[in-house]
Amino acid sequence: MTRTVLDIMNLTVNLPNRTRILRDVSLSLEPGEVRALVGESGAGKSMIGKAVLGILPPKVRISEGEILLDNEHLGAMTPVTRRNTVARMSALIPQDPLTALNPLRKIGPQIVDPLRRIHGWSADKARARALELLDRVHIRAPERVMASYPHELSGGMRQRILIAAAFAPSPRLIVADEPTTALDVTVQKEILKLIRELQRETGTAVLFVTHDMGVVAKISQKVTVLFAGKVMEDAPTEQVFSGAAHPYTRALINATPSSADPSRSFTPVPAQLVADLHREIAQDDHLYMTVTS
Amino acid sequence: MTATPFFSVRNLHLSFADRAHKPLFGPAPRIEVLKGLDLDIGEGRITGIVGESGSGKSTLGRVLVRLLDPDSGNVMFKGQDIAGLDEEALRPLRRDLQMIFQDPMSSLNPRHKVWRIIAQPMKRYGLGGTREQATEALVRVGLPAEFGDRFPHQLSGGQRQRVGIARAIAVGPSFILADEIVSGLDVSSQAHVLMLLSKLAKEMGLTVAFISHDLSVIRHLCDDVIVLDHGVIVDNGPVEQVFDDPQSDVTRKLLAAIPLPEMDDTWFER
Repeated sequence: MTRTVLDIMNLTVNLPNRTRILRDVSLSLEPGEVRALVGESGAGKSMIGKAVLGILPPKVRISEGEILLDNEHLGAMTPVTRRNTVARMSALIPQDPLTALNPLRKIGPQIVDPLRRIHGWSADKARARALELLDRVHIRAPERVMASYPHELSGGMRQRILIAAAFAPSPRLIVADEPTTALDVTVQKEILKLIRELQRETGTAVLFVTHDMGVVAKISQKVTVLFAGKVMEDAPTEQVFSGAAHPYTRALINATPSSADPSRSFTPVPAQLVADLHREIAQDDHLYMTVTS
Repeated sequence: MTATPFFSVRNLHLSFADRAHKPLFGPAPRIEVLKGLDLDIGEGRITGIVGESGSGKSTLGRVLVRLLDPDSGNVMFKGQDIAGLDEEALRPLRRDLQMIFQDPMSSLNPRHKVWRIIAQPMKRYGLGGTREQATEALVRVGLPAEFGDRFPHQLSGGQRQRVGIARAIAVGPSFILADEIVSGLDVSSQAHVLMLLSKLAKEMGLTVAFISHDLSVIRHLCDDVIVLDHGVIVDNGPVEQVFDDPQSDVTRKLLAAIPLPEMDDTWFER
């Protein structure tokens, strides 16, 4: 029997005025699997990662649904247990490596401290693992980098350091929140390659948030397509690119540059389709408000 | 007889002082960023300038609109050498050479309403700068007139970038430099902004230099492309030609790095 790493069931996330940010979202992740979470800005794709990691913005609440991390109900735990469980089993690779690193602290302690504090490793073991991972993400002179401050390093290097830090404890789950959006295409390719290699070595499952269907095709085995907080399509990646079921998924693919048919790439998502989807969701919302009020 | 090119750059050199390696006494050593560039930009064409971080593409762009002084070489703009002009002599040209920036949040004054942001440069160049003119520019970039009363933080990334475009076209330039203007946007907003820019360029007869690290964007939008690597031009020509038959490894590497929306197991190995 395989244990699912992450099981999100009927997750609804609200603002205080009951505006829904996520609408009845379900998805699951098997060990060693990469699932892409794709959608436009504001679709709620990052919100799912934040709900799992327990870092939702203030006032944003989970109103319905369950999140199971390694078959454990996060909702049933006390806040402290929940925080510890999440910290022990998962890690985040954020979009902006500069804001994720503390500018006043050297790189070394920023990787080593969580390994000691959360995972209870000895100083020597944590340091050895940090050096091993830095070397693994192709950082030359890892000793020197550990003694550097974030501002002394390039954007690509900082992102590689955060990848090393995320994979160091071999977590069950990594949430990668648009980790390559701020990078050059050539650096992006390196970073994607690293995530893929490390993920395969450690067997870590990855929830990969992105807006780019090109990246989806390269990195993931499964895809969840989101629009306005609602799941439009959930399918194996291969199936999505051989013939997506949902028109919105096809529209996203057509908005992405393609070699096969350059004339069709960069086609904006048709306004009519967007209007139709919004209308559907508005009807849903009306019903939701009536039922819950 | 050949027509004068819109921009004609010859033997362009530019270097920055490397303050990190400045000795205690004496001047800091120089880092050469542009190493003798020769290029032409045709009138009414959209020319892509592409390269990795640190290739000098933004520096080249800033020399074209003369935000930077070159060390040596010629920058002929409509037949006039603007490389050595001082600010006084450049003033009449400023209106004609407009720029759209990468991060609209930091290039739009957060305390001003959108219509004032658009009207301000018009005022500066003595072109009026009324609410009506600003609204006209807004509509031109496909935003509703009511957006004039909003503040930049109330807009999405794609909408902010449209405001940046509206501000640039409002003063009626003949040249626009667009520096990485879609790299922060999601694919659908990217598609909208690219369509808008290409439509406006056609309608207004604009010449555009479009800086990007993403060759797929360049291929879609541009007529010509210049590929830079460490301050040297490694590929230059019409897009079809450069993409179908790249002359340098740098161009081939940039092409191979584009993640196309299709399954391809060998992509990572290439």
